[in-house]
Amino acid sequence: MPQLTKILAIAIMVFIPISSYSHDNEKHSLIGESKADKLDQCVEPTEVMQKKHFEFLYHQRDNTVEKGIRTKNHSLANCIDCHVSHDEKGEAIPVNAEGQFCQTCHVKTAVNIDCFTCHATVPRDSASKIKSTGYNKNIHIESAAHNLVKYYKENEYER
Amino acid sequence: MKDSARLTRREFMVKSFTAISTVYIIPDLIPKAVASKPLDAEVSAKTEWAINVDVTKCVDGCTACVDACVDENGLYGFDRPETDSQWIRKLQIKDIRTEQVTTLPMMCQHCENPPCVDVCPTGASFRREDGIVMVNQHTCIGCRYCMMACPFKARSFVHENLTEQVTSSPRGKGCVESCNLCVNRIDHGSETTACEEACMKEGHNAITFGDLANPDSRVSLAIKTKPSRRLREDLKLKQRVTYSGF
Repeated sequence: MPQLTKILAIAIMVFIPISSYSHDNEKHSLIGESKADKLDQCVEPTEVMQKKHFEFLYHQRDNTVEKGIRTKNHSLANCIDCHVSHDEKGEAIPVNAEGQFCQTCHVKTAVNIDCFTCHATVPRDSASKIKSTGYNKNIHIESAAHNLVKYYKENEYER
Repeated sequence: MKDSARLTRREFMVKSFTAISTVYIIPDLIPKAVASKPLDAEVSAKTEWAINVDVTKCVDGCTACVDACVDENGLYGFDRPETDSQWIRKLQIKDIRTEQVTTLPMMCQHCENPPCVDVCPTGASFRREDGIVMVNQHTCIGCRYCMMACPFKARSFVHENLTEQVTSSPRGKGCVESCNLCVNRIDHGSETTACEEACMKEGHNAITFGDLANPDSRVSLAIKTKPSRRLREDLKLKQRVTYSGF
């Protein structure tokens, strides 16, 4: 009997923390599957991420743009890499699409974010590489060029 | 009798100095072999990114650098040349006296005294420690003062909603943008910008990028071996982009 309680106690000790950190088998998005579905927790414990993920992102963005710090842990690109869902064909679904990870929660909590007006919504490798179409080749801005030459020449001769 | 378990004053001094020096002093004395900055380090003024353009090697009609820039940063537009973004463009200039035509690439000149930074009301237009002049699009309000202040017409404004951005180069409607010397590539350890790489691939070698602080870098050697000048030197902007050969 004491042995049974011991085993029970150990089993409880082992499994309770796991279940409290996991997503209770809930998927991250309504459509498709992501890498994050299979992980126990994000870069920080789930409770912390739920409450503070935007603080991490704000902090990281300032560090990245102004100081050139490009650690991966709290970077938006890394979030997207892991949390993006893939459809049956294996193609990435944008994270801000309806029913996807970012959008589901922000709709529920009535939070309007504008990360994705500028940032890519699919991971870096599957981001479609837009090939240059040729429209912006050979634009000769003649007037500006003439001014440049004129000023340059004037200075040259003054000296 | 001497107690061997206890340290004498001398032994204590020697051992503590050795311990402190191994931890704090010796690592600083070893020269750092790695030139590229680790991902978690801040940029510092010890690196001075710069570009030298040899105008004599730049070929008329070649747009390799422009195309590479478009591909690298996802600068697709709407087929409206007047308003579409351009981070680098080819110019054709003609000497009025000799009628000599020169072609050259024109991009943000990365001034040490940038007028775009002076006029920015939010501090979004800023100069990074390593000399890259760029726009913090999180704080840019799209007033376009910097576009008016720039004597080189280097900046563009995004007028329309964009959808297919590249991960390494976020950009969107309502913000000003310009050449940032492929900041993402460089921070990840690349030693070339997209335009330089393309120019080398074409075999022209007109664009040379590198670290001015390092006397052995490609750009330092290029500047040493041939005379170079800044455009509009009368403005005293001290650009990091210099031109050779005209």
